Amino acid sequence: MKKLLQKIAKKSPWLYRINAGSCNGCDVELATTACIPRYDVERLGCKYCGSPKHADIVLITGPLTARVKEKVLRLYDEIPDPKVTVAIGVCPISGGVFRDSYAISGPIDNFIPVDVNVPGCPPRPQAIIDGIVEAIKIWETRL
Amino acid sequence: MTNFVQLILNLLIFPGGLFAVALGLFLMGIDRKIAARLQRRVGPPVYQPFIDLVKLTRKEMVVPGTAHLQAFWLAPLLGFAGMMAAVTLIPIAGVYQGFKYSGDLLVLLYLLALPAIALMIGGSASSSPFGAVGFSREMVMMMSYELPLLVVLVTIALKVGLATGGIATFSLSEIVQFQLENGALLFDYTMLPALLAFLVFIPGNMGVVPFDIPEAETEIVEGPILEYSGTGLALFKLMTSLKMIVVLGLAIALFFPTPLGKNFLVNLLWFFLKCLVLMVIAITIVRTSTGRVRMDQAFKFYLRYPTVLALISLVLTLLQR
Ligand code: SF4
Repeated sequence: MKKLLQKIAKKSPWLYRINAGSCNGCDVELATTACIPRYDVERLGCKYCGSPKHADIVLITGPLTARVKEKVLRLYDEIPDPKVTVAIGVCPISGGVFRDSYAISGPIDNFIPVDVNVPGCPPRPQAIIDGIVEAIKIWETRL
Repeated sequence: MTNFVQLILNLLIFPGGLFAVALGLFLMGIDRKIAARLQRRVGPPVYQPFIDLVKLTRKEMVVPGTAHLQAFWLAPLLGFAGMMAAVTLIPIAGVYQGFKYSGDLLVLLYLLALPAIALMIGGSASSSPFGAVGFSREMVMMMSYELPLLVVLVTIALKVGLATGGIATFSLSEIVQFQLENGALLFDYTMLPALLAFLVFIPGNMGVVPFDIPEAETEIVEGPILEYSGTGLALFKLMTSLKMIVVLGLAIALFFPTPLGKNFLVNLLWFFLKCLVLMVIAITIVRTSTGRVRMDQAFKFYLRYPTVLALISLVLTLLQR
């Protein structure tokens, strides 16, 4: 029974975006992934939601600047379990073009468990969708 | 005793309860699919709302520390229960009679206000500032669409009441009976403005795009339901899908209840088809082809066009007698 529910539930991952100080390049790509018919993610059952309380898959962009750190951590705690984190872009991995800047406290996985990395500056929509599919597989085991 | 058992069955299985929930969720799935196709996307499968519900029941429930607990949990239950009761009042011609009770239209009118009130209670109990903004917007929305609805209902009550020799009848089953004998009100030219007004009322009541101001997710991050997660959110989703059945069913009962022959199943399918067509016209197309308006614009719009249209119908009805 639990297995069956798991199988059903995994088809409805709701996405939530956190901008941890990104340059907006990755966010534009996320918007493309969502809005342009060619890359429609709704066919996977995904839905972008406005509230962290409704989220299942968290998409984090940006290098985690020092100013935004506290807020991102708080937001992350508010997201109900089970959740999966996907880091979009090269910024969350290493800081990308902002590496060694005095203003960033990233890489993000020092603070939050990151499950999937989607490298690229910015990554292509196809890569983001691939990352989401990867994340759904991980999410299923946690449901 | 049998009456009581039947009432419970009506409430829990058919046409309320299970049947209405399934129908509402299915209609919502079709709505999402059609909206996606209109935007040239593939879209989710039509059973997506069911999946969403299963998913939501498996999520953790987070309650904000500063929320008022009782009111926070009471709100979704209240809305859901109110809509469950409201569905049983909707007659489906040739399938289900509704209640043979002389004031059911008035009861329905009050029950229809419950979802908005539930959202308001939930929004303000969640202690989130977005919830509070959602609360005030929901209130203004309710005040603006309630007036045209009221005028439409009074018009129809007068029309049927005058034609059957009384003054006004607020019994939904009598209104349906009248239409079964004298032809649907849809084909009566005096009722056309009222029908238009009702069509405009539907997106406002359902809170879909041009009038989704209380739950604008890009402005106030879904307002009242912002703080709900897991089962609480699932209850709100169920409430919305039931509300859709109530609103569409009410429109069908008021304007076009005509059944198709005597067969139970055929009539049920016919009802479903009417719901579907009405939903596509009044919700899906409107939702995909417009952008959100501002609160004051919505308020003025509702007080201007639908109200005036409904009043025209009222005057025509009174002149006709
Ligand atoms: S990865 Fe590149 S595009 Fe994305 S936020 Fe960082 S710098 Fe911008």
